[in-house]
Amino acid sequence: MADISKKTEGLADLLLGSEAIGRGALEGGVNVVASYPGNPSTEITEAIRQVAEKMNIYVEWSVNEKVAVETAAAASFAGLRGLSAMKQNGLNVALDFVSGISTSGSKGGLVLVVCDDPSGITSTSEQDSRPLARSLDFPLLEPGTFQEAKDMTRFGLELSEKIGRMVLLRSATRLQHARGRTLLGALPDENRKAHFDTSKQYVAFPSLPRHVAAKERMAEAKEICKDSVFNVYEGPDEPELLIVTCGSCYLYALDAMNLLDLWDRVGILKIGTVWPLPDDLIKTHMAKNSRILVLEEVEPFLEGNLKELAAEWAAEMPMPTFYGRRTGPLSDTGELNPDIIITAFMEILDLTYEARPPAYDQQAKAMVEKLVPPRSLALCAGCPHRASYWAIKNAEVLDTRDGFVTGDIGCYSFGLFPSGYSIMKTEQAMGSGPGVGYGFGKLGQFDMQQPVVAVVGDGTFYHGALPALVAAVNNRSNLTLVVLDNGATAMTGFQPHPGTGTDAFGHPAEPVLIEDICKSLGVRVEIVDPYDSVAATQKVLEFMNDEQQGPRVLIMRQQCALQMARSGKLYEVWVDQEKCVGEDCGCNRFCSRAFKCPGIMWDAQAKKARIDEAICVGCGVCAQVCRHGAILLKPLSAAQGKDS
Amino acid sequence: MTKLILQKDPLNAIITGVGGQGNVLMAQLFGRALTDKGFAVTVGDTYGAAQRGGPVSSHLRISKQTLFSPLTPSGQADIIISLEPVEALRVLGGWGNPDVVVVSNTRPSYPFDVTSGGAEYPALADITAAAQKLAQKTLFIDASEIALQMGAPVLTNTIMSGLAVGLGLFPIGVDDFITVLKNQFDDKKFNLNLSAFQKGLDLAASKGWSD
Amino acid sequence: MGNKTYIRGQKELRAEVQDAGLCTGCGACVNLCPYYATSRDKTVVLDVCDRAAGRCYAFCPRTPTDLEAIRQQLFEPQDLTPELGAVKGFYLTRATDADIRSVAQHGGTVTALMSLALAEGIIDTALLAEGGGSDLPSGVAVRHASEVAKLAKSKFIAAPMVEAFNKAVLSDAQKIGVVATPCQTLALAKMKMKPFPQNDSQIDKLHLTIGLFCGWVLSWRSFKELLDEKVHQQAVVGLDIPPSKYKTMQVETADGLIEIPLNEVEACVREACKFCTDVTAEFSDISVGSARLPDGWEVAKGWNQVIVRTAAGEALMQLAKDRRVLEFREVPEGNLEKLKRASVKKKKTALDNLACKSGDRDDLLYLDCRDPVFQTFDW
Repeated sequence: MADISKKTEGLADLLLGSEAIGRGALEGGVNVVASYPGNPSTEITEAIRQVAEKMNIYVEWSVNEKVAVETAAAASFAGLRGLSAMKQNGLNVALDFVSGISTSGSKGGLVLVVCDDPSGITSTSEQDSRPLARSLDFPLLEPGTFQEAKDMTRFGLELSEKIGRMVLLRSATRLQHARGRTLLGALPDENRKAHFDTSKQYVAFPSLPRHVAAKERMAEAKEICKDSVFNVYEGPDEPELLIVTCGSCYLYALDAMNLLDLWDRVGILKIGTVWPLPDDLIKTHMAKNSRILVLEEVEPFLEGNLKELAAEWAAEMPMPTFYGRRTGPLSDTGELNPDIIITAFMEILDLTYEARPPAYDQQAKAMVEKLVPPRSLALCAGCPHRASYWAIKNAEVLDTRDGFVTGDIGCYSFGLFPSGYSIMKTEQAMGSGPGVGYGFGKLGQFDMQQPVVAVVGDGTFYHGALPALVAAVNNRSNLTLVVLDNGATAMTGFQPHPGTGTDAFGHPAEPVLIEDICKSLGVRVEIVDPYDSVAATQKVLEFMNDEQQGPRVLIMRQQCALQMARSGKLYEVWVDQEKCVGEDCGCNRFCSRAFKCPGIMWDAQAKKARIDEAICVGCGVCAQVCRHGAILLKPLSAAQGKDS
Repeated sequence: MTKLILQKDPLNAIITGVGGQGNVLMAQLFGRALTDKGFAVTVGDTYGAAQRGGPVSSHLRISKQTLFSPLTPSGQADIIISLEPVEALRVLGGWGNPDVVVVSNTRPSYPFDVTSGGAEYPALADITAAAQKLAQKTLFIDASEIALQMGAPVLTNTIMSGLAVGLGLFPIGVDDFITVLKNQFDDKKFNLNLSAFQKGLDLAASKGWSD
Repeated sequence: MGNKTYIRGQKELRAEVQDAGLCTGCGACVNLCPYYATSRDKTVVLDVCDRAAGRCYAFCPRTPTDLEAIRQQLFEPQDLTPELGAVKGFYLTRATDADIRSVAQHGGTVTALMSLALAEGIIDTALLAEGGGSDLPSGVAVRHASEVAKLAKSKFIAAPMVEAFNKAVLSDAQKIGVVATPCQTLALAKMKMKPFPQNDSQIDKLHLTIGLFCGWVLSWRSFKELLDEKVHQQAVVGLDIPPSKYKTMQVETADGLIEIPLNEVEACVREACKFCTDVTAEFSDISVGSARLPDGWEVAKGWNQVIVRTAAGEALMQLAKDRRVLEFREVPEGNLEKLKRASVKKKKTALDNLACKSGDRDDLLYLDCRDPVFQTFDW
């Protein structure tokens, strides 16, 4: 992660979109940053965190996004500048508060950075967060370049403070995970103090008059943004086609323009102040253009708004022909890329283009089909979740009542895939493993016989499982809750959570232990090590058949394999080639094929299993899985790890 | 200010591998060196859960005029550098063209699909043959072996970087890259990486293109 | 004869046997590999195995089976009868030792024979069923003659004895004896045919099979429910089913005898038993059941009917006679005929059920319609 405070004003740096936003926050004089990890937003807060202590900025990884925004909002109410960053799902978690602060307004600059994930590459939806800006009356800025990502963050904090409303900054995966040249600005020298003006009220009731006031503030924002440098036109005076775009589509359009050599024929209007829209600027261009192609991710938000304006201006100018994600030829789902835009240009402008000779294209595709195996995502070698799922899978089968797992969000979401034995049968949101599991546990009166095991990670437990657990106790739901505790918020990069005992800076924090919470709720709670396969299976089976039929919590606790790889292997592991039965009846490659740890390889030449020493973390579980005693272990001291 | 020379604008390089191999860092270092030189550079990383076994590619878009998108359009790669042989083919399939050059490590990293027995991993001879058919020039080298001999498998990407610079794939010189190495690493790590980089340069001088 | 047999794998085993309701829970497929287990009276699949052919399919008594080929291989042709399989001898016996008789279900013959076999070193390990009442039974291995009596008494839920055998062959046991139900003896007999080229030497460790007469076994889950309802938590000491004319199951509790109407018990019969043609465990060395005597049940229930089928069985019976471990009584006129009729009745019922299930009289699922035995009666 780059040190975003390192270089001084005027110098250029190659920054990630995330780092650029972080730098922008510093240039905007941010005081408090409260976020929750979530791809593709995580690196924003990481970048700020790295320099925060020396710059007297408070940074926290909040327990969830709602608390994160509330924390940043408190800073704003106290006259400080606050920022909160999250992915689109996180915005949903915070949404009730967000709608409340729309009504109440704020004081110090307050920016909520939401990073969407078109195509839902690492998300449960490809939600486009922009329409929320319109429905909840927030200005929304969307950067199209790394420079803009930085500058808009600073501007967002300033704008927010001017109009007394939170500002949304919306980015997306392709900008967040890409680097580009960014010219750095000055870092402010302010030393704000926190003070809440008790003559004011930042409240959301009664809401109607406050809604009226909100509309007035938005009109002010529109006025401020009407000549914004973030809304830029490039191209001929009278193009054959006008592109109106925002976000990462801007750079895709440049690629398409370049390959089709359209610089003299097509103009690009890049909008950065996506809400409220710069009507006048748009009107100027709409009047001159009969064909408009709107490029945006993912919803036709900009397209719809432009059509509304065109309808309003119908008396003054002819209605243009619109192309986009509602009208076509672009799909209304999935992320765009330069190839899709090239195809759209070809259709609209009746062009031909070949990326490469068709014969080559065919050959290349045939080659991949023939030779290149898929590279699916899998749980890491030694992952305790694999061991836990192995135990749960076996327990479900031995239980014989067709039990199943309700799942949740985290590394352990791999329970959806073959790597996790496709064990998870429901999965929607943070905490919905326990939530939906709780619901199933109330279906006894409808003769529900199948035992349900809800899984949730340790981080997720604090984020969103507590209400369901309280409900389970209060309503006596027949729920086995398995907490997959690997001691970290691992998927997003090992951020701390209330159980880890450290804060964002690595300083000690008061740990709030899951088992203590359970005990205080009066729930049966036990801890088992998933690496002890037999004990873990027995425990899960026991819990599934708990006579009390109320809620019970089994914590399957073992540190993340990536941590173990750093701290040292537990065992040296190898396969006895004599004892290995291989693909014969009696085994059929049980370890590599059924258990599926990537540290175990099937050597098709020797027809035996082999341990890949480069990947194996030495957890020792496979030795318990092998029925023929062919996988052997030699204990190593934890200190004597591999030097890598 | 020296005039910038770029054989093609934009020049597109894709540096690929498997999560954990360090190709993202490698792309970043090249990106920095090129940016410092004065080029407009976009480096786009494609990954999400890379640690969990998936392929990782970094797209380097190098231009004199403007930033381009973080995703290279299909069939537009000029340079493919891979830390893993089958990933070189994957990228070649989507982004290759008759003029592309391919430089790849030969040490395989078996996907979960292969280790759990469903899929087959092709033989190295088939990989190199396929690459030679679809590229203008190729060079396959066991950089992992050299890194292992140096005592640290993680140096593979630095060795490959030396190879790329030595072959003149990018419009930067040896000193340009050494500068970014120095800015990236503390003294101890810098020295180790410098040796690895040098090994790559030597390889470029001694070995030739395969075809 | 016998061209209907072939060996497939787990996928076909599940489709043709387990999901088809034919699985008897014998355990032949368990402990050969990590993919199967027995749990709560069900044979369950822990993971998918994609082998085209495996021992699970080869050994299962409900995959296509050439009974005639097995009869020809394991028994002497002159001993074969269509109704009862091989009959070298037919006896009425009971254990001489009164202590054995006091813990046994009926005559104590099985306990006496197994104890003798262990004591004389004919076997070094006896596999017997443990558990009773509505407990889930399991197969256990005993090494000493004195332990056998503790495991006496009939079980009405089958323990998966072939699973126990598969486990025992992996231990240091060299000469194993098993007490098994008819379907289990058939699985062991299929193993003796060595249908699968690899790992086929383990069956050589099987030195003695004592089969039990069996009309059916009960499903654990439904029987447990029934028993809990009738017996209300009292400890069950023993169970017995007198001859069917009594239409009752007797439950011996600490507080006395409770009778359950037989039709309620029969509602708990395991589904797969409907398709079984073997009441006297035709594929064993010695088969043992409860006796029938003109003197009535009160007397008969203290004796066993015994069919000796092989040379090994004959040798053991002779030894039992010589050592006076068993007492013999005269076999009344017509007993063998009566047993033959009972056996044919079960065969007819099973064949009718199989034809009904397949919808085709020529498709008997795991049996061959051309089996010469099936030609000897109308069904």
